[in-house]
Amino acid sequence: MNGAGRVLSSLAAIVYVLILAPIAIVVALAFSADSFILFPPSGYSLRWFNQLAHNEPLLNALWLSVQIACVVTLLSLALGVPAALALNKGQFRWRGALTNFFLAPLLLPTLITGLALLLFFTPLRLTATLPGLVLGHMTVTVPFVIRMMTTAFSTLPDDIEAAAATLGAKPWRVVWRVTLPLATPGLIACACLSFLLSFDETVISLFLSGPRAATLPVEMVRYVEGRTDPLVAALSVLLIVATLIVVVIVERLVGVARAVGK
Amino acid sequence: MTGTARLKLLVLPAALFVLAVYAWPTLGLFRNAFNETGPTGAMIEAWSLKTSQEVFSDGFTFELTLNSLWLSLSATLIALMLSYPVALFLFRTTSRFRGLLAVIAIMPMLISGVVRVFGWLAILGDRGLVNTLAQSLGLISTPIKLVFNWTGVTIGLAESIMPYMILALLAGFGQLDRTLEEASRSLGASPARTFWRVTLPLSLPALALAAGLGFVLSMSAYITPKLLGGGRVFVLATEIFEQATTNTNWPVASVLAIYTLLLLLLLLVASNIAAKGLQR
Amino acid sequence: MSYLELSGLQKRYRDSVAVDDVSLSVEQGEAVALLGPSGCGKTTTLRMLAGLVDPDRGAILLDDTEITRLPAHRRNMGYVFQSYALFPHLTVARNVGFGLEERGIAKAEIARQVTEALALVRLAGLDGRRPRELSGGQQQRVALARALVIRPAVLLLDESLSNLDAKLRDTMRHEIRSIQRSLGITTLFVTHDQVEALTMCDRIAVMDRGRIAQIGSPEDIYERPATRFVAEFVGRANALPATRDAEGRAVLWGQALPVKAPARGAFDLFVRPQRMRIVPVSEPVADGMARVTGRVLRSVFVGDHVEVLFEGAGGQLTIETQSGTAALPEGTEVAVIWQARDTLPFARETP
Repeated sequence: MNGAGRVLSSLAAIVYVLILAPIAIVVALAFSADSFILFPPSGYSLRWFNQLAHNEPLLNALWLSVQIACVVTLLSLALGVPAALALNKGQFRWRGALTNFFLAPLLLPTLITGLALLLFFTPLRLTATLPGLVLGHMTVTVPFVIRMMTTAFSTLPDDIEAAAATLGAKPWRVVWRVTLPLATPGLIACACLSFLLSFDETVISLFLSGPRAATLPVEMVRYVEGRTDPLVAALSVLLIVATLIVVVIVERLVGVARAVGK
Repeated sequence: MTGTARLKLLVLPAALFVLAVYAWPTLGLFRNAFNETGPTGAMIEAWSLKTSQEVFSDGFTFELTLNSLWLSLSATLIALMLSYPVALFLFRTTSRFRGLLAVIAIMPMLISGVVRVFGWLAILGDRGLVNTLAQSLGLISTPIKLVFNWTGVTIGLAESIMPYMILALLAGFGQLDRTLEEASRSLGASPARTFWRVTLPLSLPALALAAGLGFVLSMSAYITPKLLGGGRVFVLATEIFEQATTNTNWPVASVLAIYTLLLLLLLLVASNIAAKGLQR
Repeated sequence: MSYLELSGLQKRYRDSVAVDDVSLSVEQGEAVALLGPSGCGKTTTLRMLAGLVDPDRGAILLDDTEITRLPAHRRNMGYVFQSYALFPHLTVARNVGFGLEERGIAKAEIARQVTEALALVRLAGLDGRRPRELSGGQQQRVALARALVIRPAVLLLDESLSNLDAKLRDTMRHEIRSIQRSLGITTLFVTHDQVEALTMCDRIAVMDRGRIAQIGSPEDIYERPATRFVAEFVGRANALPATRDAEGRAVLWGQALPVKAPARGAFDLFVRPQRMRIVPVSEPVADGMARVTGRVLRSVFVGDHVEVLFEGAGGQLTIETQSGTAALPEGTEVAVIWQARDTLPFARETP
C-alpha cells in the first residue's frame, strides 16, 4: 500500500496521463516525417530538426531570448537579492506592507502588466527594443526573486547569523560569510527559474515585440498562427529539455514545489 | 545599529524599479481609461468617461464578459475535478516517488504555454490523435471539430491551470488530518462514506481557494484562447490585446483591462470569503 | 561595582512582557545560572546580554563600561546556542577560528589557538570535519570551543545541554564546569533543568514571569526558598494546606505543629519528601519535630529510592525513603515525622 488507496491512485494515474499527453505528443511529433501535424505520424525522421537549424527568424529569436533571459536574470538578482536581504534583516515598521508592495506584480495578470508597459514604453520608444523587453520581463522576475529569496533567507538555521555576530562579525560580514553562502543553493535555483521565466515569458513580450525584436515565444506564436507543421514541435523539444534541466537543478537544490509555491 | 540601518537601504533599487516600471505604468493605464479616441482613431488626451460609456453601452462587451466567465467557469470546474484526485493522491501517498510525482504534476507550469498549446493541436486537431483514433475505431466518419472553437480552448485552459490548482490544493490540505479518516473508518464508515463525510467537507476551503485561483488565471489567459481558439473565440483577454495592438485603441483597451481587473478582484474576494466560510 | 551588572532590564513584545525587571550582579570568574520554566524570560535576558535583543529599559555594565546599546559584534560575549548554530558550510577548524578571523588575527596564530581550543574540549584531530559529520556531543564541544577561543568577557550558555541524551549530559556538565573553573571565566547559564543549575553554578537566579524570584547559592535556593514559586520549582515539595491556632502555630490535619504560622491569610506548609521519615506510631515525638499520623496508601519503587504515598486525616503526602528498607504493607498505621525547621510556610496563591 502506498497510503493513497487503489481508487485514488488509479484516478491520479489517469490525470497524470492527461497532464503528460501534450508534452509527450509534442516530443513524438518533433520526429515526424510528415509535412503537417498528423498524429500518429506516418513516419519518423529528423527533417524538422534539420529545418530548424536553417530557420533564420526562429534561430535569431532564440538567440535574442537567451540574451534577454541572461540580462534579466542578472539584473533581477542584483535588484532582488539585496531587497530580500533588507526585508529579512532590516527592522522595518511596515515590513508586511513593503513585502506586499514588492509582490503585487505577481498578483496582477501579465496581460494587464503587458498593456500598461506598452502604453508606458511607446512614447519612450522602448517597445521592440532589448532594454524594453528586459524591463518588461523584470516586472515578473524581480518580484519572483524577492519572494523566493526572502523565503530562502528566512529558512536559514536558527541563530546561525546571531552566532556570527556574537563572534565579532559586523553585519555585512555576517551577510558575506554566513547568510549568502548558506543561501547559495536557493540563489542558484532562483537564477535558473528567473532565466526560465524570462525565456518563456510570452504575453508581455507579445505586447512589446515588434518585427525588429521578437523573442522566441513570440516568434513561435506567430508561426503557429500562420502554419501548422512539426517545425515548432522540434523547437519545443529543445525548450522541454531546457525546462527539464532547470527543473532537475531546482529540485535538487531547493525543491520545485517550494520554489514556485507560496 | 548603523549596520542594519544601512542594510535597509538595500530595498531602494528594487523599490525604485517597481515604482518606475510597474506602479507608474499601471497608474498610466488607469489614466488612459479617461482618454478619448478621435474619429480618425487618434488618441485625444482628456478626463472624461466617454470611452467607458462607449465600451459599456456596446453589447459586445457584455457578450465578451459572458464568454470569459463561462469559459473560465467550465475550465475551472474541469481542472478542479482533475486536480483534486492528484492533489489528494500526492498528499496521501507514502511512495518514494512522491517527490518525482509532485514535480511532474507541477512541471507543466514551467513549460512554455506555446509548447503545450501545440501539443493540444496535435491531440485535438482534425488529423490529431483523438480524431485518428476515433476514425480507425469506426466511431466517426468525418473528423469532429475539437480545436479552433470553445471546446479546444476549454480543454487547453483547464490543462494550463491544473498545476497551479494542484499546488493550491496541496497547500490547503494542511488541516486534513489522516487520523480523522482513520477515526471515521474505525467508527464503521466505508471508504466512500468516509470520503463523503470527512475528507470532502474538510477540503472544501482548499477547493474554494483553488477554484478562485483557477478562475482568475483562466480569465486573464491570452495565449490559449488565442491559439486554440483560432480567431473564433472572443473573450475579454483577446479583445484587450486586439484593441491595444491591432487597433491601437488604447483608451478602450485600458477601460477593458480595468474592467477585467475589477472582475478578477471581485472573484478573488468571493473565493476567499467562501474559503473562510467553509472553514469550521 | 561587580564585573557584570544588569540593572532594571525590561523587554516587551507586542502583547507580552518577556523580561519585566531583571537586576543581577555577577563577579569576575563566577558561574551563575538563570533557572526557570520556559517563558520566564531567561533566554531573552541572555540575548540582551549578548546584544541580540535590544532592551526597552535598563542597563548592562561590563567592567564599569556601559554596553547596553553596543551591537553584538562588538561585545565579545561567547554565546553557546541551544541549537549550537554551527556554520554548516565551514569545517570544525573554520567554525572555531571564525571569531579570530573576524578579529584579523594572523593565520598561524589562529591555527595555534584553534588547535589549543579543540584540545581543551577534547576534539583534537577533528579539525577537517563538517558539523553534520559530528555527533550531538561533539557539535556541542565545537560550539563551546568556538565561544571560548575568542576569550570572551562573559561566556553565555543557552540551554546548551538540553539537546543531549541523559548520559552525555552528565559528562558534559562536569566537563563544562571544570573548563569554566580552570579558565576562571565568568559564565551565565540559562537552563530549565535544576540539576544543571545546582551542579554547575556558584549562584542561581530563579526566574519567574520576567523577574528574578531569588538569587542565592544552590544550598540557599534549595534549603531556603524565598518564595512559593521557588519552593515548587526547585526540588519536590509536599504543599500541605494548614491553618493556625490561637498560639500562632501551624495546624496540619488537626494536629498543632511546632511551626510558626504566618500572621494572616491562608497558607500551605512546604516540606521536602526526603526530609520526612516514617516511624512507628508508638515512637515518642522528639523536641523540634513535627509529626502527623495516618496510614500507608502505596509504596512505589523508583530505583534509587522508594516513594511512599501516605494518607492522614486531612489529605495525602509523599515521603521519599531509601530503597533497601523493607517495604511497608499498604494500610499500615504509621507516623510521619520531620524537623520542624524543615517546614516552610508560604501564603496560598489566589488563583
